[in-house]
Amino acid sequence: MTASRSPQDSSRRQLATALASIVGEDNILTESEDLQTWGQDWTRFYSPDPLGIVFPRSVEQVAQLVQYAKNNRLPLVPSGGRTGLSGGAVAMRQELVVSFDKLNKIKSFNETDQTVVVEAGVVTARLQEFAREKSLYYPVDFASSGSSQIGGNIATNAGGIKVLRYGLTRDQVVGLKVVIGTGDILELNRGLIKNATGYDLRHLFIGSEGTLGFIMEATIKLTVPPPPLAVALLAVPDMAHTINLLTTFRRRVTLSAFEFFSDAALTHVVEQSSLSPPFAKRADFYVLLEFERRSEQDMTGAESAFESCAESGWVTDGLLSHTEQQRRDFWQYRERISESIAPFTPYKHDVSVVPSAIPDFLASVDALVAKEYPDFQKIWFGHIGDGNLHLNILKPDTWSVADFRQECERVNDKMLKLVQSYKGSISAEHGIGLLKKSGLHYTRTASEIALMKSLKQVFDPEGVMNPGKLV
Amino acid sequence: MKILVAIKRVVDYNVNIHVRSDNSGVELNNVKMSMNPFDEIAVEEAIRLREAGKAEEVIVVSVGTSACREQIRTALALGADRGILVETDAELQPLAIAKLLVAIVKQEAPMLVITGKQAIDGDNSQTGQMLAALAGMSQATFASELLLGDDTATVTREVDGGLETITVKLPAVVTTDLRLNEPRYASLPNIMKAKKKPIDTCSPEDLGVDVTPGLKILKVTEPPERQAGIILETVEELVDKLQNEAKVI
Ligand SMILES: Cc1cc2nc3c(=O)[nH]c(=O)nc-3n(C[C@H](O)[C@H](O)[C@H](O)COP(=O)(O)OP(=O)(O)OC[C@H]3O[C@@H](n4cnc5c(N)ncnc54)[C@H](O)[C@@H]3O)c2cc1C
Repeated sequence: MTASRSPQDSSRRQLATALASIVGEDNILTESEDLQTWGQDWTRFYSPDPLGIVFPRSVEQVAQLVQYAKNNRLPLVPSGGRTGLSGGAVAMRQELVVSFDKLNKIKSFNETDQTVVVEAGVVTARLQEFAREKSLYYPVDFASSGSSQIGGNIATNAGGIKVLRYGLTRDQVVGLKVVIGTGDILELNRGLIKNATGYDLRHLFIGSEGTLGFIMEATIKLTVPPPPLAVALLAVPDMAHTINLLTTFRRRVTLSAFEFFSDAALTHVVEQSSLSPPFAKRADFYVLLEFERRSEQDMTGAESAFESCAESGWVTDGLLSHTEQQRRDFWQYRERISESIAPFTPYKHDVSVVPSAIPDFLASVDALVAKEYPDFQKIWFGHIGDGNLHLNILKPDTWSVADFRQECERVNDKMLKLVQSYKGSISAEHGIGLLKKSGLHYTRTASEIALMKSLKQVFDPEGVMNPGKLV
Repeated sequence: MKILVAIKRVVDYNVNIHVRSDNSGVELNNVKMSMNPFDEIAVEEAIRLREAGKAEEVIVVSVGTSACREQIRTALALGADRGILVETDAELQPLAIAKLLVAIVKQEAPMLVITGKQAIDGDNSQTGQMLAALAGMSQATFASELLLGDDTATVTREVDGGLETITVKLPAVVTTDLRLNEPRYASLPNIMKAKKKPIDTCSPEDLGVDVTPGLKILKVTEPPERQAGIILETVEELVDKLQNEAKVI
């Protein structure tokens, strides 16, 4: 089922001519610098080696490309904003990269339906901005939204910091136009709210990482803007208590985010930025929670939740934002974690369990990493209100990337077994791609994986759509 | 020594302002309200002076609807000792507010009044100055540094083209500029403690002040939308446009 490797040199010219006739010569790049740039995502563990990059400008061009690829067994890698964290958009085996950078139009807006039709290459932040201009709201948001694309978000079913209140990317998509591995164009669900006509194929493509088809266009449902929001930043001595905080606050206010991070994470943020530490006395962990502040009562609700948590010893200190500026400032402590640890080539665990299992799960993970990584720095953070932990292991200066990665992978196996024992997910929101493929069976059963492979066969009979990823 | 800090509840600095469709004013429905940012700096300065042992008590006063209690509470959580709300639903202009503050100054006899150099709603920059004049106090506006002596205050002021340092006799009114300090955040334990701090309420009538506006607002409109710029290819084109379209050369 795998597509053939690099075409022979003699056929290279033929290929170049064929591609130029589909997308035009100006929309092809083959310089080595470009191959490096478009051949990889945010992961830094792979050496990119794509055949070239094409920038199609229409659905028809993509359909033709896929037809051609299918007939010539040319492997294709769809590429969005390349902020992915699982190597899903990595091309390292002479694949042709199909970039959506030039399919970036916001096509139409329907005020009555509150829907917007966007091409796959529209950057997430641009859709957020567009919604704001229409006095509406696109709630999917995370630190990479200034670069990631809607197509990439859909292909990974991206989550982020507002999942607790608004759900995942999946929950915003009411229609999809895709080109599948046969070269056919499908229009799925067409923006309908209600559509009880059998299998909803739309959802198969959300989170499929480009392995079944390419996302071309999406109809996105926008929502009403949130009311004024406030943020509480809490100093938490023991991470086991984070879920108690969630329960206590949720009873009194409408939460729109619930995040946690460790003091080591905060230390890196403070060191890499001009921010001053939020508390005079440090705690081992912090919770950042955001809630809707429709009236003064919401503030008193949060205050009394804090008081009862303090009485139980779950929090030792806390800050509450009183201005919009303060709210944004508090978020900086959380939002800057990824970028401030990036120089340390972090090995990222992105795992999830049901929120109620979080206290036990965190304790087990803590015991495991304390034993297995005694010498590496461990950075804890995550969308803990969704049961999602991002545990990052930092590479010590003295270790080579290869050795470090090998060591982490050794431990990873134990970590994934642990996740399995909690019936959790080995990849909460970053996808499987290349990086986590060997661990898929810890979350999906053999029969599930066999079915996934059969589905891939149906949509991509020649195996040219992002081969080697996910399944 | 007592310090009185006057604070105002205004539309949050980061909120996009919309003019009401009948042009009567700015839309306030469902809009986030906060303490005027310059007043946050005033509160911070007063608390620092008390923490440094230069003052014994910090009193915050706000004039407006009962909703202003929220901002007074914030100031109490930041460290002020007690609050005064001059409660009224009437439209308030700077002169009326200044007169009400004079009445409070008479009651409390503070040696120092600190307030923002302006409130970001009306951008008037009048209240502090009017208060000083009406109460017969010294004034030092736009402060970026404040040093208290025994019966003087030495204030560095941000003026056009540089800094000016003046020494004024106490009692004085000081209005704050942005660089005076960086306000702290309200901590939750302090917010809880602040709930026990007293807030006295009185009305303009209690203080014997007539707040009837002296100025009439005719109309509030959005600023004209700026036209998009254009990129020209050549200098000749530019000169042509400047001469014939803009008629500036
Ligand atoms: C600092 C930082 C913070 C992050 N935080 C979060 C977070 O909070 N939550 C979260 O979910 N993710 C997060 N991510 C991960 C990443 O931003 C998301 O996975 C995002 O959805 C990827 O979008 P992209 O356009 O960059 O996709 P890419 O990385 O380009 O691609 C991702 C996958 O989608 C495929 N693909 C791309 N475009 C298409 C298309 N049009 N059709 C079919 N397949 C396509 C690619 O082949 C690849 O498999 C973070 C990343 C960074 C760097």
